Amino acid sequence: MPIGDMLFRSVDDSQINSVFPNTFNEYKKWDKEKDELPPEEVYKALFEELAYGEKIQIGRALTRMNYSKSGWKSLIKTTSREIKKAVKKDELPNNYKDFLITANEKWADPTFWYAMGQMVNDTTPIYYWNALDRTYDQDQNVIMQDENRRIYIKTWIKTLKISVYVTIFCLILGFPVAHLLANLPLRYSNLLMIFVLLPFWTSLLVRTTAWIVMLQQNGVINGILVWLGILNDDGRLQLVYNETGTLIAMTQILLPFMILPLYSVMRVIPKSHMRAAQNLGAKPAAAFWRVYLPQTIPGMSAGGLLVFVLAIGYFITPELVGGKDGKLIGHWIAYHLKTTLNWGLCAALGAILLGVMLIFYWLYNKIVGIDNIKLG
Amino acid sequence: MSKFTKAFLFASIIFAPFIANAVTVASWGGAYTESQQKAYADTYSDPSSIVFENYNGGLGETRAQVESGNVTWDLVDVLPADAITGCDEGLFEDISSEIASMGVPGPNGESIAEDMEANGLNYHSGWDCCVPQIFWTYVVFYDPDAFPGEKPDSMADFFDVEKFPGKRGIHTWADGIIQKALVADGVAPNAVPTVFANQTGAIDRAFEVMDKIKDHVVFWSAGSQPLELVKSGEVVMAVAYNGRVGAANLAEGENFEYIWEGQVLDQEYLCLTTGAPNREAALDFMMHASSPASQAEQAKYITYGPMRASGIPIIEANEPWGPGGVDIMPHMPNTPERLKVSIVNDPQWWSDNGAEISERYSAWMGN
Repeated sequence: MPIGDMLFRSVDDSQINSVFPNTFNEYKKWDKEKDELPPEEVYKALFEELAYGEKIQIGRALTRMNYSKSGWKSLIKTTSREIKKAVKKDELPNNYKDFLITANEKWADPTFWYAMGQMVNDTTPIYYWNALDRTYDQDQNVIMQDENRRIYIKTWIKTLKISVYVTIFCLILGFPVAHLLANLPLRYSNLLMIFVLLPFWTSLLVRTTAWIVMLQQNGVINGILVWLGILNDDGRLQLVYNETGTLIAMTQILLPFMILPLYSVMRVIPKSHMRAAQNLGAKPAAAFWRVYLPQTIPGMSAGGLLVFVLAIGYFITPELVGGKDGKLIGHWIAYHLKTTLNWGLCAALGAILLGVMLIFYWLYNKIVGIDNIKLG
Repeated sequence: MSKFTKAFLFASIIFAPFIANAVTVASWGGAYTESQQKAYADTYSDPSSIVFENYNGGLGETRAQVESGNVTWDLVDVLPADAITGCDEGLFEDISSEIASMGVPGPNGESIAEDMEANGLNYHSGWDCCVPQIFWTYVVFYDPDAFPGEKPDSMADFFDVEKFPGKRGIHTWADGIIQKALVADGVAPNAVPTVFANQTGAIDRAFEVMDKIKDHVVFWSAGSQPLELVKSGEVVMAVAYNGRVGAANLAEGENFEYIWEGQVLDQEYLCLTTGAPNREAALDFMMHASSPASQAEQAKYITYGPMRASGIPIIEANEPWGPGGVDIMPHMPNTPERLKVSIVNDPQWWSDNGAEISERYSAWMGN
């Protein structure tokens, strides 16, 4: 249900169409080749729908209109005020076009009228195009967004890149730890297990803040490197408030999700398999590569999928340590959900995220097989 | 039905009336909500009837509550752009007549609206649904120990990394800093909002100024971070919420200096949610919270300024007003001489242009 609602919202544009039905109908008849500005009927319909429409419905439509072009909100509001005054005095204009242009000169600016073309249908793909840095031109052809506003494609690529890196780093770091845990005598491995679980149980915010303390320029890591003489005092590394910080902190935070499934799979692999392989003449490396490793694949895939899925939608950690360029797509979903109230764009971003996840799931199923996944 | 379920149902029947009668106020949490608790709720006729709940700003939750018809927040503490949008969209109830008739007047009979106009604000539709709270500002501050010689004292200095080397701390969103950039470029602070609204290319100009310090910036995203950044020496100057700097100076014994020039003064409102379950009680509390006395009282606990002009004389007449006998006026952002060098944010312009500028700002940060 919630997913269905989200998919519906990502294409739904019916609210505004219920507020300005006549305006949009007349608008569709406007021949942009012939006339620079829309015909009088459009202005008249707009005047009437603003004059007699329900205030709150118009208010909600305003929020929507502002997504297509900045400035709609105050344009409609100042115009509405003039219209209300005229209606109150019972002075309906002879020429609606002139009246509106006098009320606000922006009604003579064709770019506002072109932007209106984005919302004249009950359903629209525009939110998906926006989520991919694209928009419509005056004839509803899809074009690229202004260069200095293109952020989403970049963020998508960054989100995928960081998720893949985090998964790979977690695998590289988690594999030896899980192996050690699975093969040590119980009393040592229990102790080690606590070292894995303790951070896992610690609050996310505490761990994120701890990473800021560790990584900042006057922080622990830079301090040690300078003290050892590896860096000089002016050459301190910028390790946090950027992509590097996001990568380091997310890897550590998601590491247990890799170690635990790996551990539970490795624990049940009989030690005799390795011995048997070596008995039959395999070198240790070959025995590991051809006998041990294939048996850990269910654990690796379970851990990998878990970490990847968690990473791709991660929010708090990148938000705090991400600084200038370490923020992921979750940042924009939250921003549009709370600040601009552009829930259509939110839903489109969420739907694309879901789609990406399904593609990876499908690929995974093709390559490894979903039956092969094992958490223990 | 198990025993436990029965006990639970019983308990909820017993306690439900008490919970339902409390006015729920959604606010930002931390020292700010604490100051509201002390100044508004503790001084109210029935303090226990007010419950604060934390949220993270924005209208997302409010809209979800109103759309689903399941409203749990009676009052929401919001930024001015959200007050405007919320009121336009009907998420907040239009109570303009109640505000006019029930609002607590100032000592000379000033209404709430007159008091705000006296503070240099212009009417916007948020005034129909909401009552004023405090002025907060984006102010630049620094640790004087970081500058043994000449000390920075203007926006031009903040944007000049040759004269004052060292990193700057800036927030990861656009509104404060792009306005300060114009001040550094020679625009009079009071004129900045009109320049943005009326001059094409003003935004490009601001970004060009910001380019000068871009390689010397650490970007922060939570209000506590700029304080940490300056304390640890990570940056030499930072933009911060003035209340945070005031708290560090007054409560933690820090000695930070402010650069008031080009501070960006912004508003804060308390709004009544449409369909609030305790509408009458909430209205009554709103009027109490927006009285000049309550607003002056709040300055005791956090260094944000009263949005009602008649709150200021109460503080001035009773100095030392702060905790432990400290003068509060030196930390107030909206004294007359500071207002002269301030940018007063134009929420209507931001609610028109905020989304586009924040995309552009992000593109700028990431490149």
